[in-house]
Amino acid sequence: MEGKLIKIVKRDDISKSVFFLTPILAIILTLISGGLIFYLLGFKPLEALKFFFIVPINNVYGFSELLLKATPLCLIAIGLSFCFKSNNWNIGAEGQLTFGGIVSGGVALLFYNQEGFYILPLVVLAGAVGGMIYAMIPAILKTHFNTNEILVSLMLVYVSKLLLDYLVVGPWSNPEGFNFPETRQFSNSARMPILFEGLRIHAGIFIALATVIISWFVFYKTYLGFQMKVSGFSLKTAKYAGYKGKTMILLVFMISGACAGLAGVGEITGPIGQLHREISPDYGFTAIIVAFLGRLNPIGIIFASLVVALTYLGAETAQIFMQIPKYTGQVFQGMILFFLLASDYLLFFKIKFLGIKKNEL
Amino acid sequence: MKTNLKLSNISKIYPGCIANDNVSLEFESGKIYALLGENGAGKSTLVKILSGVVLPDKGEIFLNNKFLKLNSPIDAKKNKIGMVFQHFNLFETLSVFENLIIDSNESRESIRKKINLIMEKYNFSIDLEIPVLNLSAGEKQKVEIIRCLIRNPDVLIMDEPTSVLTEQETIELFSSLKQFSSEGILIIYITHKLKEVMSLCDEVAVMRKGQLVSVSKIADEKIETLANKMVGQNLKTIKKISKEKSSEQLIKISNLNFRSEDPFETNLENINFEVNRGECLGIAGISGNGQSELFQILSGEIISENNSIKLNNSPIGNLNPQQRREFLMAFSPEDRMAQAAIPQMKIFENVALNNFKSSNFFNKGLINERKIKEHTKKILSDFSVNTNNVELKSQFLSGGNLQKLIIGRELITSPDLLICFNPTWGLDVGAINYIHQTLIKINEQKKSVILISTDTDELLKLSDKICVIYKGKLSKIMNTEDVTAEKLGLLMGGGEID
Repeated sequence: MEGKLIKIVKRDDISKSVFFLTPILAIILTLISGGLIFYLLGFKPLEALKFFFIVPINNVYGFSELLLKATPLCLIAIGLSFCFKSNNWNIGAEGQLTFGGIVSGGVALLFYNQEGFYILPLVVLAGAVGGMIYAMIPAILKTHFNTNEILVSLMLVYVSKLLLDYLVVGPWSNPEGFNFPETRQFSNSARMPILFEGLRIHAGIFIALATVIISWFVFYKTYLGFQMKVSGFSLKTAKYAGYKGKTMILLVFMISGACAGLAGVGEITGPIGQLHREISPDYGFTAIIVAFLGRLNPIGIIFASLVVALTYLGAETAQIFMQIPKYTGQVFQGMILFFLLASDYLLFFKIKFLGIKKNEL
Repeated sequence: MKTNLKLSNISKIYPGCIANDNVSLEFESGKIYALLGENGAGKSTLVKILSGVVLPDKGEIFLNNKFLKLNSPIDAKKNKIGMVFQHFNLFETLSVFENLIIDSNESRESIRKKINLIMEKYNFSIDLEIPVLNLSAGEKQKVEIIRCLIRNPDVLIMDEPTSVLTEQETIELFSSLKQFSSEGILIIYITHKLKEVMSLCDEVAVMRKGQLVSVSKIADEKIETLANKMVGQNLKTIKKISKEKSSEQLIKISNLNFRSEDPFETNLENINFEVNRGECLGIAGISGNGQSELFQILSGEIISENNSIKLNNSPIGNLNPQQRREFLMAFSPEDRMAQAAIPQMKIFENVALNNFKSSNFFNKGLINERKIKEHTKKILSDFSVNTNNVELKSQFLSGGNLQKLIIGRELITSPDLLICFNPTWGLDVGAINYIHQTLIKINEQKKSVILISTDTDELLKLSDKICVIYKGKLSKIMNTEDVTAEKLGLLMGGGEID
């Protein structure tokens, strides 16, 4: 009966620095494994990694593209952090983004041949409300019928994508568009102002930054944030303290839906300028990785969104210069999440080796 | 051949408590043995040792005079010791049959044959193909018993088997157990229910505070003598100095009922009591008889019919805990780490959990950190918590200090009524004394306490009036001076007095 017994025990305390260092460890491990994959595919690993992570941002245009892609990721991830902190698993940000895009796009199309300062605010508002309403569906089903929000929010993604498909092919398709699956171009008053001539980066980045600041304030300084924190740690304690659990669930879903909706608005009124089938390269799903990589912390999320945005850009560059399929970007995103979860496991638990001797009682 | 199981000088010490203190017992097949005792008497530890779940610190086990080493539950199974736990270990979504074959390496066909034989012999009728979640509690227990019987056990241990059963299911269980016994299986039956011991068992071993109190034949015992042994005779310790009684009623509970859908929760039936100002009402009982449900109803975590709870004559039954705090109620739940406080949060954040309007912890929706910290410092010094660092995470406080913090948090607002549930559970003597003194002090200030506790010593020490909760029903309310250990034990074990 001699032997070693492995036991996994929870750590008593997690140091704050390690808590924020593990995401960096995850990124390093991703880079190493990425290099290995490139090597196996017959590329020089260092060169490939350079094309993936350095070339895309070694000029002003490249850097502005990075910010452009990081904007929606950051916005959605901030919204999701409200949900995830209170143990509500909203997986459907992509759907809320799409629906927000549909509603705001509809408003923009109403004004397609008009100009006016009031148009953009209306469009932005419509997008936020659209995302919010769409996120309330899984929330209300959860609070009133005990459905699982993961399934409902995820399935609603496909509903909204098919709805968008139907609209751009059918009723909203551009009458002068030769039956292409897209709507008219929005008027200039419905577009986000471009920040620098010749670059695509637009005013949406300010919305994202404002959201970061507001959410930091709400999380750490308000009663609402305190209630969310308590509910996230222990629903039993929240109940004992007398917090309204159901309202809290509805609220975090509304916040997160509104953020996703705003991200949708930024895309269609920014770089795209109309509605078509592909308004988001799965930003809503990728933002889940961003939220966790940023430790659900507003500042952390800013950095995480930049890192993950780089995988989008890198994939495109690598495709152009090295003929590596651009889906490698998703491989990198997947690896980041994988390594993050793996290192988290070691963060929260430690492995103990217990020796057992023969005559021990 | 007769089975003989012998425990010799078994000791098991946990940090801060001696669960088993030199226990020696001998069992022989053909009889049904009862192991009787209150919560924390050490019964469960003893049977865990017998089933290989826990290793004893000292002592030996002999089966048929052969030394038996139980390192794990697998060793117990190999030696034909079967165990049915109080909480079922079944996979709810798997079928009955799948549950029964899961830990066996025999072929499906031979097991199916065995199961059918067992069911025929003992008159069990359970559909083997339906998922376990569709079974009643009694049926689930039969599945557990069948799982033991498949292995032809020599010893069958039942841990508080009737706690989730209906009256009818209990009768069925008893007749099965008697049949097993007559077929030569040694049965050890763990319980705190006196009536069951009297009607089912042949011999009874009583435990109290880790020690074996007595072993005797049922024929020589009466329900009263057993009650006395279980609760202990030297209970008349320090009692509160009685003072002139206030007749001003503070809280009145009338016709309070609660039905739960969860079979592991207890329904409450027609609860009535009242507490006057300056009074402490103790509610005794073996745990799992409805205390947790009653506490949640009193605190507002479970909403009840509005008129069933009246504080100062205003109905508060449908108010949530926060609203009840505005009526100057305070609550100290049983579970310090999972409910009363959040270990991962800082001390001052935990203090902010007890929040009402006049405390100004939150001003216009913003956290007033300065105010909360000031208030926290006062609690830390007034209630002698051994730190003055309000930023410390609560998980670094010892159980006693955390409990002082919680009681302090609830009391510093000088509420009219404190409702506490096992406030000294798991604490060391010093902390227990401190909490007890605090509770007595509240009464002296004309504030009231409802003390729900499984510790009879504590109840007799602190309460002015005592009642017992058993299976969701409250006994009549007695003055503490008139309560004897015998009466309390009888009521806690489901007996009747007067």
